[in-house]
This record gives sequence, C-alpha cells and structure tokens, in this order.
Amino acid sequence: MSQIETFYEVMRSQGITRRSFMKYCSLTAAALGLGPAFVPKIAHAMETKPRTPVIWVHGLECTCCSESFIRSAHPLAKDVVLSMISLDYDDTLMAAAGHAAEAALQDTIDKYKGNYILAVEGNPPLNEDGMYCIVGGKPFVDQLRHAAEHAKAIISWGACASYGCVQAAKPNPTRATPVHKVITDKPIIKVPGCPPIAEVMTGVITYMLTFDRMPELDRQGRPAMFYSQRIHDKCYRRPHFDAGQFVEHWDDENARKGYCLYKMGCKGPTTYNACSTVRWNEGVSFPIQSGHGCIGCSEDGFWDQGSFYNRVTDLTQFGVEANADKIGMAAAGVVGGGIALHAAVSALKSAQKKTQSSKEEV
Amino acid sequence: MSERQLLVGPFNRVEGDLEIRLDVRDGRVTAAYANSPLFRGFEMMMLGKDPRDALTVTPRICGICSISQSKAAALALGQVSGASMPPQGALAAAILHGVENLCDHLSHFGLFFMPDFARPVYAGRAWHDRAVARYTAQEGSAVRPLIEARARLFHIVGLLGGKWPHTLAIQPGGVTRAPDARDRIRIQTTLRAARRVLESELFGGALEAFSALSSIEALEGWAGGDVALFSEISADLSLGALGVGPQRYLSCGAYPLAEGRVTKAGVWEDGRVAPFDPAAIVEDVSHAWMLGEGAHPSQGVTVPDEDMAAPAYSWCKAPRLGGRPVEVGALARQVVDGHPLALALAAEGGVRARIAGRLLEIARLVIWLEAWAAALDPSARFMDTGPAPRDGAGVGLVEAARGTLGHWISCAGGRVGGYQIVAPTTWNFSPRDGGGVPGPVEAALIGAPVGEDERTPVAVQHVVRSFDPCMVCTVH
Repeated sequence: MSQIETFYEVMRSQGITRRSFMKYCSLTAAALGLGPAFVPKIAHAMETKPRTPVIWVHGLECTCCSESFIRSAHPLAKDVVLSMISLDYDDTLMAAAGHAAEAALQDTIDKYKGNYILAVEGNPPLNEDGMYCIVGGKPFVDQLRHAAEHAKAIISWGACASYGCVQAAKPNPTRATPVHKVITDKPIIKVPGCPPIAEVMTGVITYMLTFDRMPELDRQGRPAMFYSQRIHDKCYRRPHFDAGQFVEHWDDENARKGYCLYKMGCKGPTTYNACSTVRWNEGVSFPIQSGHGCIGCSEDGFWDQGSFYNRVTDLTQFGVEANADKIGMAAAGVVGGGIALHAAVSALKSAQKKTQSSKEEV
Repeated sequence: MSERQLLVGPFNRVEGDLEIRLDVRDGRVTAAYANSPLFRGFEMMMLGKDPRDALTVTPRICGICSISQSKAAALALGQVSGASMPPQGALAAAILHGVENLCDHLSHFGLFFMPDFARPVYAGRAWHDRAVARYTAQEGSAVRPLIEARARLFHIVGLLGGKWPHTLAIQPGGVTRAPDARDRIRIQTTLRAARRVLESELFGGALEAFSALSSIEALEGWAGGDVALFSEISADLSLGALGVGPQRYLSCGAYPLAEGRVTKAGVWEDGRVAPFDPAAIVEDVSHAWMLGEGAHPSQGVTVPDEDMAAPAYSWCKAPRLGGRPVEVGALARQVVDGHPLALALAAEGGVRARIAGRLLEIARLVIWLEAWAAALDPSARFMDTGPAPRDGAGVGLVEAARGTLGHWISCAGGRVGGYQIVAPTTWNFSPRDGGGVPGPVEAALIGAPVGEDERTPVAVQHVVRSFDPCMVCTVH
C-alpha cells in the first residue's frame, strides 16, 4: 500500500497550491454538510492516507455523467478528482487506446485488488448475451463482472446504472439492466439523476476517498446527504405552490412571475435530489428556474410514468405525506407550516437533520 | 508483400464505443469496416408514447449533443402540431444550440484530437515537446483553460435552459425561459470571457482575422496560438492528404432564425452546390444488424436482427443521399455555406481540412453568438402556446456539432406511430450499402499507413478522430 501516493501528493503534483488545497478541504466539508471542525480532519486524511484508486467504466449510456463531471462546480475539485481517476482507468478520457487501454484496466485491477472503487456509468444490456454493448470484443456485462469481482465498492453513476434510465423504457429492447441487479455481492452506492449534479458526484467520491468509507445511504442506496429531500421541499417557487399561484401556459404572465410549475407537470413534489439547493452548471440554475418543470430524472422508472407534462396525481406512491386532495387544498390557499420550518435553517444543515431523523425512523 | 487484418478498438477519447476492422497490405489500409457495437433502441421505445415525450427521451440519446437532439425533436413536433417559435424564441434556442456546438468543438480539439500528437511515437519531431507540454491528455497546459472556458460557457445554457446536459427548455413553440436584461448581460460577459481565452490560447489572434482567412496558404501562414502548432504538425505529417473522404458535403443549414437559417443548406460536390432534398435520403440496412428493407426515414423501422447475421457487421444503418454516401460536420457546413477557406479545404478533404473547418467554425460561431446575445429582447415573447401534437407527420433537421441530424416522426391519436433518427455519425460512420460502397470514414481510412508493429495505428486514430465520432448518437 505504501507505494500509492496520498491524495495531497497527487494534488501537489498537479500544481495545486497549499492554499488552494485548504480551500478545497473547506469547500468539501461544506458540500458534505460538515462543520468547520471537519476541515482539518479532511486535510489530515488527505495528507496521510494513500488515495483510493478508481476504475471508471462505461456501459449502455450517453456519456452525460462524464460530461456533467468534467464541468464540476469547483475547478479544483474537478482537477483533483479527475487527476486521481486518470491515474487508473477511464475509457472516455484516458490517454491510452485500444489494446493498451484494455491492458491498463487489467493492470489496475491486479495492482489494487480488493482496494479500488469501481465507478460505473451506464448499464449492461442482457439480451442476446449482452451483444448490444461490446467493449474490446466482449459484452460489457463481462467487463463489469470482471472489474467488480475485486472492487471494494461500486458507485452507480446516474439513472442508467442506478435504475436503467430511458434505454430501459418499454419495451426495453436491449434488456438494459441496472448494476445492482447484475452485481449482487458488493456494496453499491446509487447516485441517480440524468445526469447527477456534478457537485453531488465530486462530493460522494471525495467523501469516500477522504474517509475511506461509504457515505450514509437511504433505503434505496442513495447518499442521504444529497437525496433525503424533495426538489419541492427547497424549491424557490414553493411559496407560489402554497399560495395556489400556478403557471397555466408556457410563457404566460404567471410564468414570467415565476409561479409554481406543478400544473405544467413538474415532478418536484415526488423527486428526491439536490437540484433546488446545489443547482446546476456551477450553481447557475436548475430546470424549474428555467421555467420547465422537473421531470424526476433521479427517480426509479421516471421514463415510463406517462407523459412528462401530466400533472402529478398520486403523490402517495412515493411515500409522500400528502395525496392529490391535500395538494389541491394547499393549492386553494392553505399555507402549510412547511415554510416556517425550512426558512431559517440552511439547506445543508437541514439536509443533515432530515437524514438523522429518517435514520431514527428506520 | 504482407497481408494482415487488424481490429482497432475500443477507441478512447471518442464519445461511446467504436471498433474498426482493417485489412492491411504492405503497410497500407486496403479496406475498413466500422462497427458501432452499442445499440439501445430509442426508436422502438418512442412507439406508442405521447409525442411530447420525444423532448425528454430523445435528448438522452447523447449527453454531448443533447440540445441538438431536443431541437430536432421540437422542430419535428412543431410540424405535427403547427407550432413555430416566435423570433426571440428561435434566437434563444439558437444561443443554447450554438453554445453546445461551440463547446463540443473545444472538447474535440483539446481533449480528443490533439492529445494523439503527444504520444511517444512522435518523439523526436521538432514539435513533439510543445505538443506534450500543451496537450498531454488531462495534463497539458492547454487543456485546463479549455475545460474551464467550456464550463463557463455552459453557464449560458444554465441561464437559459436550467441545466446541461439534457436541457428541457426548447419546446416546439419556443423556449420556456424568457431571459431578462440581467441574463442578457451575463450571457454577453460570458461570451466575452470565452473570446479572450480563445484569442489568447487557441488562435493567438483575433477571431475576426481568423475567420477572414481565405486560402490554405493564409491558414498555413497563421502564426498564432495552438492553431500554428497544429499547422506545423499537419505540414510535417502531411495531414492534408491523410484520410480523404467522399468529398461530397451535406448541410441542412444551421440555426433557424425568423429570417432564415444562418448558414446555407445544400450538397457540395466538385465545386458546385446543389439543393438538399431530404426526400432523397434512404437508410440502407444491407450491412446493418437490422431486419427489413432500406427506406426513407419517414417510412423506416428499427428491427434489430438478433442473429447478427453476416454480411452485416454494425448496428448502424447506412444513410445515403441519392444513393451515395455524404460527409457531414463543421467542414461540410462551412463548405456548403461558401466560406472561401472552407471551399479551399473541401478540395483537400482530409484530416487537416476537417480540423481547420472546425477551427473556422469556432471563430465564426463566437462572433454569431455575440450578435445573437446582443439582439435578445427581454420584453418580447419567447414561446407561443399551441395545441399538443396529435395527428400527422413531421421532420426536424438541425446541424449538430458533428453534422446534419434529422428526426422523423409520425403520430396518430396523440401517440407516436413512427420515429426515426439519422444522426451525424450515422452518416459518417455508416457501414457499406447494398452496392458495397463504403461509408465516409471507411473510405477515408483506405491508404492510411500502418507500421509493421503497430496494433493501434496512430494514422488511423487521426483519421477516425478527425470526424469527431459520437457513437452513442450513431445507433441510438
């Protein structure tokens, strides 16, 4: 193990200054919802622990997760995490090609047996013995099983790896299958979303690299720190929902005023993700802010729930406390206590709190 | 006299999976067979769905050009329902689309194409040290500024579209977000920052000066930035003569605005531009693992052949225009648009022409984006509401970064009855057709040099990457 350099050494060799490193540690602590006391802990862990190797493989997918990742929020975080991954294996970004790349994969597996994290983007199609997705002359499902065999843990990036995503839409022509249905004997962290938010991706991977353990997961296997709240809970348009003020047509007067998109089919009330707090493209915006409802891309089966523009009618199916009637009442002007509840607390603190309370329930 | 077969793949630094089988004789490629080994069946999933779902499902074909897909779907749906975008809606959609195309070009040059010249195989060349310093994969000094510029450019997509990849804002009737005056200023500021990076790093000169180049001599004389490094490399390695394609270029015209498309539509061959007739497209399936007959996309079906029977060797269908293969992409767009430098490059038709065509488009596109952003009028309408698409047929043709993209839809009773997509890389990486005529990249690879002990020949890599293949789009 001693031949593996530390996280800090990797950063330094990338030309990153001590000052930037400390900044990165505090940003990471904030992103993970940890207090300032954790900054030196993170720094210490990164200075002393050998970094965890990562192998990143691609199955049936659109590469959107990688695309999200390489424009991650803080350029520093992206540089660091990318540079760590590049040391090992990623077939979209790495320098090697062809057989050399296949050899690099095998070398990495051999060198870090039992110690690496396998990051999977996309999923394996099982129809026709996996022939719908061929990597290096073999079905991707074989590569996946092979790489998973000696992995310490697996990260399922995105809706594809976590749930199947659109390629699993009826009739699922290729039998695209999520990773956890193929690999059943390894701990799997699902980071759903199409794609997941870049900050969520770097947050999860940094947590694992730094603390050498999996983040706390919810019952679906998602990191609780990012997936414990609905988009709706923290949506900046929520007051309009509570006040019964809705967009009725695209670009109408209400749309210009930024009213709630519930009637336009927004799935925010049933979608667990961090879009309304972390936001997208370095915190610039998120779909609801662009005037389009959430489509629920981080939920299982979002691709086959009827039209994306149909209103959410049965909110109980996801274990949400209100059903359509209650929503209707809220829409009619019954202002819930929810606003007061989440007004004061910062998003991340609150996310932590929610996590703890949900743990007690389980 | 030596003969051998080579299987090159998986390719790295291309989007998606790709394998190419090569017949090699006496150190030259004599035949190439491009295989897209990834099939997902989007066209089958669309059947029976609400037509509007195309706006969400089809962009997920590709995480790199999802706005192109969403725009093609929006245009096709608009034809069915009779909706069209108000002028400002079209403008905002053009900005979203233009930014995505620009970013694609930047990734291609910096992350996918140039790193090949940092390989040890070129050690000793006069330019090798500089190529290593600038473009070693993920480490070179040029790579970080490009990725950062790209990330910042996507703030524009964030502002107008909420998120990228897989933006939802583009609808048949316009865009869901009406930018306000502050958004417009942020967009303009972001573009100005991007211009600065491109002018100092990539071009080493003004974008206007580069886009005014009108001959290959002028291009070779351009002394600034990484463009000069590329010119030096391409002269040394004769990239101009490597990978010559069919030299038949198609563009459907990029960026539809109220006053028409910004670049011209047409088919260029032998110095003449003929009108583009979408009705002349046939998707041949003789060498694809697909059942059925060749058909126009409006009549086409997607039925994978589970036996994967010979002589087929790819999941990719072979689209042909008037029975012949055509090349699409940034070069094709600029050629059909009649830019003098592009016309000079068209006659050359190889690796250098494709890369220079893309560079030319980067320069022109930034200038256009600036003009479009300045023309945004926050008080105008950005979306018209129309009826949902129910019955009828429609086609949406757009220019994605990698070339012409078409969506053909037919619906009845508010359900999708047929959906066919022909993506840019479907054109460029198509397999042979019924007449045995190879697709553009297969033709371009013929004659590429292969060293005695090369297993992943570097010249082949240059040719393949010069097309900027997007394999996830190809077969979808």
